[in-house]
Amino acid sequence: MTAETVQNLEVLAAQAQTLMSVFTKAGYDAVAPAIIQPADVFLDVIGENLRARTYVFTDQDGAELCLRPDITVPTCRLHLERHADPMTPARYCYNGPAFRFQPQGATAAHPREFRQAGIERFGDKSREAAEAETVSVILKGIEKVGFKDWTLKLGDLGLFSSVLDAAGLSPNWKKRLDDAFLRPLSFREALKGFATGVRGASSGVPDEVLSAMRRDDREASEAAVAVYLEEEAIELIGTRTLSDITEHLIGIAEDRKEKPLDNRAIDLIARYVGVSGSAITAGEKISALIKSAPNGSGYALETYDRRLALLANAGIDLDRVTFAAEFGRTLAYYTGFVFEVSAPSLDPKSPLAGGGRYDGLMRAAGSGADVPAVGAAIHSERLLAATGGKSP
Amino acid sequence: MTNLTLAIPSKGRLMEQTTDMFARAGLVVRKVGHVRGYRGEIEGLPGIDVAYVSSGEIAEALKSGSVHLGITGEDLIRENISDAATRIRFLQKLGFGFADVVVAVPACWLDVTTVAELEEIALPFRRQHGRWPRVATKYINLTRRFFGSKGFGDYRIIESAGATEGAPSSGMAELIVDITTTGETLRANGLKILDDGVILKSQANLFATNAAAWTPDLEALRAELSDRLANSIPSKATVR
Repeated sequence: MTAETVQNLEVLAAQAQTLMSVFTKAGYDAVAPAIIQPADVFLDVIGENLRARTYVFTDQDGAELCLRPDITVPTCRLHLERHADPMTPARYCYNGPAFRFQPQGATAAHPREFRQAGIERFGDKSREAAEAETVSVILKGIEKVGFKDWTLKLGDLGLFSSVLDAAGLSPNWKKRLDDAFLRPLSFREALKGFATGVRGASSGVPDEVLSAMRRDDREASEAAVAVYLEEEAIELIGTRTLSDITEHLIGIAEDRKEKPLDNRAIDLIARYVGVSGSAITAGEKISALIKSAPNGSGYALETYDRRLALLANAGIDLDRVTFAAEFGRTLAYYTGFVFEVSAPSLDPKSPLAGGGRYDGLMRAAGSGADVPAVGAAIHSERLLAATGGKSP
Repeated sequence: MTNLTLAIPSKGRLMEQTTDMFARAGLVVRKVGHVRGYRGEIEGLPGIDVAYVSSGEIAEALKSGSVHLGITGEDLIRENISDAATRIRFLQKLGFGFADVVVAVPACWLDVTTVAELEEIALPFRRQHGRWPRVATKYINLTRRFFGSKGFGDYRIIESAGATEGAPSSGMAELIVDITTTGETLRANGLKILDDGVILKSQANLFATNAAAWTPDLEALRAELSDRLANSIPSKATVR
């Protein structure tokens, strides 16, 4: 495993020092969040998929703890401890180990213990500026270490929403497609099924219950559900209440009445999802798509263009920047802008660095509300490999 | 010459049914030494050592290759050995020990009949209760693999060692993944199976490990045992 020889440790330490000095000079406070974290926060944020890759254990008192699978969530918790008002603007940087179980066995590119050097910034109101600066600080760090041959890939999970707005979809359809977009495994299938209606014929919910659901009369709807349960001698058990169940049933009943998704919208979505390539031409393509749509507006593309202009201003060569509409869909907690820095010499599935916007994460960590947040981390061992294992 | 080691369940219904199957094949399995011991032999089939092992540990023994053959449920093999297809040979379905591994939710959830509908309630549930729905199960790996294959990750597993069916009504979890044969226990606990919630239709199998050294002599013994057992297996075993 990487970093097991003393030489690598020294080189890694020197590399980390260089990165941390770039980060602190850019105005980020150096912090060292705890390596052992309460498992709850992570597991509630990341869901069961990443849990399968997190080292979770029970201590002698029965508390469920984990070895941090990343340093972003611990930094969010640290911010909440420091500031009573989570909206307080702050910038943090860190360097240290994170841990992930590798189901295919640990390798040099996918070690179970790896070092991350990263930055996080919270509470920024100017969104694209914070995003562009995050990218530029990460690239500055990577170049300072001695690696110049990077490529940059961008994505934007918020753009899909704008495409749906442009397509003039009903709120019900929009919500359904927005949810489906984040689940690429089932997205294509869902889109196919959506051609015949929001909900295919798959649902086994009793028709007599659905026909009694009224959004404008919750009381009567709940009563109808209660009567059905009573007649069928089904006991109401578990955490979900009659009201929870009725709310979802009302939604299902509404889905049944929704008009099928029209072909123009399906075509627009399919064409958007297929957009990939140079960031400049991708922007032009998406702009043309949105303009051709029934409710086209330029708003979303303004943010796209502003971000690119800010990156160019920071000295980033846009010819080395690509965009893919699908990129970012499978990443754990991102809510908008995402990016990845890669090295041509490494497997494209093993990027040197990655990050993006995650406005919902602080709420999951206990802030009670969304907090603007952008961050990124560098995978230290991969950066070392990309530079040929030499000290900068 | 080394003997062939066959692990069979050491207690419960699975042990009785295994013994019955051997009896139907005209084979008597007998303990060797102390009656409370865990070693045995098959009368008329010299060269085979029988080890009485708890059915869960049979999967471990096959995985490590400390026994050659084992009789246990497919559910336990699939749960305990992530790459079962390469480590284990599935020799014969035995026609007993039927159990379906299923996803079951409270029957009062009229709004949830499929995994897709379960996925729909996960986010509203989290907004209401501050956490993802919890799934009580002892089949952690089967559950993860099944939901993962459907792109569903918005849940949390709660490990359950026993009486899993009671978890939803006691508030320990919202739903369960467990085995059922007739569905009676699920119904008695106010639960129903999702329409697309059957993860695995399991039964007892004769398994062989790929982790042990197989000499021609051992293979011959295995073939003889398989042949003797084949006649005593009800034909529906292969149909199911």
